[in-house]
Amino acid sequence: MNRKRLQAVIEKEWLDMRKNKMVLSMMALLPLLLVGMILGTVYFMERAPDSEYDPATGDSGMALPPELEALGYKEGTIILLNDQYMFYLLLIPLTLPVYVAAYSIIGEKETRSLEPLLATPVSTAELLVGKTISAAAPAIVLTWLSFVLTAVGLNFIASPTVLAYWVRPVWSLSMALQTPFLAVLSTASGVIASSRLNDPRAAQQVTGLFIVPLIALSLIVLMGKVYLNLRLMSWATLLIAAVTVGVLWLAIRLFQRETILTRWK
Amino acid sequence: MIRTEHLTKRFGPLLAVEDLNLHVERGEVFGFLGPNGAGKTTTLRMLAALIAPTSGAAWINDRRVGQDDEAIHASIGLLTETPGLYPRLSAKENLSFFAKLHGVEDIPGQVRKYLTLLELWERRSEPVGGFSKGMQQKLAIARALLHEPPVLFLDEPTSALDPEAARLVRDFIETLKGEGRTIFLCTHNLEEADHLCDRVAVIKQRLIRVDAPDALRQDLYGRSVRVQLREVTPEILAAVRALPFVTAVTEASPGLRVALDEPETYNPVLIQALMTAGAAIQFVERESHSLEQVYLDLLHESEATA
Ligand SMILES: Nc1ncnc2c1ncn2[C@@H]1O[C@H](COP(=O)(O)OP(=O)(O)OP(=O)(O)O)[C@@H](O)[C@H]1O
Ligand SMILES: [Mg+2]
Repeated sequence: MNRKRLQAVIEKEWLDMRKNKMVLSMMALLPLLLVGMILGTVYFMERAPDSEYDPATGDSGMALPPELEALGYKEGTIILLNDQYMFYLLLIPLTLPVYVAAYSIIGEKETRSLEPLLATPVSTAELLVGKTISAAAPAIVLTWLSFVLTAVGLNFIASPTVLAYWVRPVWSLSMALQTPFLAVLSTASGVIASSRLNDPRAAQQVTGLFIVPLIALSLIVLMGKVYLNLRLMSWATLLIAAVTVGVLWLAIRLFQRETILTRWK
Repeated sequence: MIRTEHLTKRFGPLLAVEDLNLHVERGEVFGFLGPNGAGKTTTLRMLAALIAPTSGAAWINDRRVGQDDEAIHASIGLLTETPGLYPRLSAKENLSFFAKLHGVEDIPGQVRKYLTLLELWERRSEPVGGFSKGMQQKLAIARALLHEPPVLFLDEPTSALDPEAARLVRDFIETLKGEGRTIFLCTHNLEEADHLCDRVAVIKQRLIRVDAPDALRQDLYGRSVRVQLREVTPEILAAVRALPFVTAVTEASPGLRVALDEPETYNPVLIQALMTAGAAIQFVERESHSLEQVYLDLLHESEATA
């Protein structure tokens, strides 16, 4: 792996990304939408009276898991909802890289730039790693930024307890550890999809594979059936890591010089 | 510089290239001719260490293809059938990226040199997606040269160009040849091949023939002169046929087509004999067969024997 060539690949990808309005707007829109949605709901929920959240008196009450009962109905409900939103933040590393990778690779297929590229000393490993870093890194940064931005917002509009639960170790750690794995998983899936598809928008649909289980998980948490703790999160991280390695292995197998030139249609 | 031994490539049941044995010398411009689907691009991809041969082997500068590909890639420039540029990036950005991959020392200098040589410097900052086909083709040629490779593979370099740009590129290829580079040129433009190439190979899956264009002509048709006369009389014909060095005479109105081995030596004798026989000579010219004719005849011949 030659560091200069790797750097050249990443720089070129980012230069191209900056000139691709579709990709840029997608990158800006998703995080803004999510942060806005979270802060907006918390803002209005904070302003409703406690009684609103008591299942006995109000309409907005939910069954709280035992771990949150001590906080009272209002804060408990806000925190429960935020826990669900946290899953939504993970949509950023899961969907953006697929999109970016698909645009990058399908774009190279359309313009047939892979052949002259592969005739340079750059290796397929350098190319794949370069593309992975350039697609995953912005998504990771955007996820972390959204997480921090939301925390800053919560600091102004929510109670200190709500903020403390937002940044509690379960979430800080999953943000720190799971986000990079998910972003790499997403990029690798984008690479695999791009080897077969010829439309970046079609490649987008593989994100459905991730979104459905993620939303399902978030709903289970919302219903108060499972309360997220560190043990659970560690297992989840391990599982994600394993899936990521598997999918990455598949992507590497598809990303071979000869395969790209003769079998990618 | 470029050598192949029994080079063969199959795509499933399809035999794209079969048992190709070539030897291209350093500094040679080598034309690679053949009909559509003959396996030219496939051969080029094998030589450029992009796809692996099914059997046989190839060497570039004594490096075996498939074993030392990074070094091979560093020493070759490849112009692919389609330009394969990044449409959103500018001409300069496209070239700089490739220069970085090749580890070029003076990137701005090299980029400027080739953009200027190919008359693209003025448009260096525009996204190349807006370039005409010909400009894109020229930019792709510049990209293949940035790292000053000793070996160049050009797949139909002038196919998308207008006559003026094609001329520019042809002159450019001659300059490159003058610099001692080895050039492997796939083309359907036989006039171009005739003009540029030291030797040409005609292939159709297998190698049909390889030689210098003039040698192929002589081999196929012998050498001959065309003498235009005001009138051909039986006396004139008889006088020419009587000459010992003449191998064949045909009437080519208005005049004669005379085949002979050494026109440089015997043409004066021939003309003397014609004048003695009372012929009114209007023109004497070297009979020339176009490389196109040579190519078509070679293909027909190979089909007939197959
Ligand atoms: N990846 C591939 N898979 C299957 N068959 C292929 C592949 N690439 C080339 N071929 C086949 O190999 C044969 C040779 O193709 P090639 O592109 O080398 O021809 P060519 O001489 O360059 O033709 P042209 O003058 O049209 O460019 C063709 O029959 C083509 O269909
Ligand atoms: Mg071809």
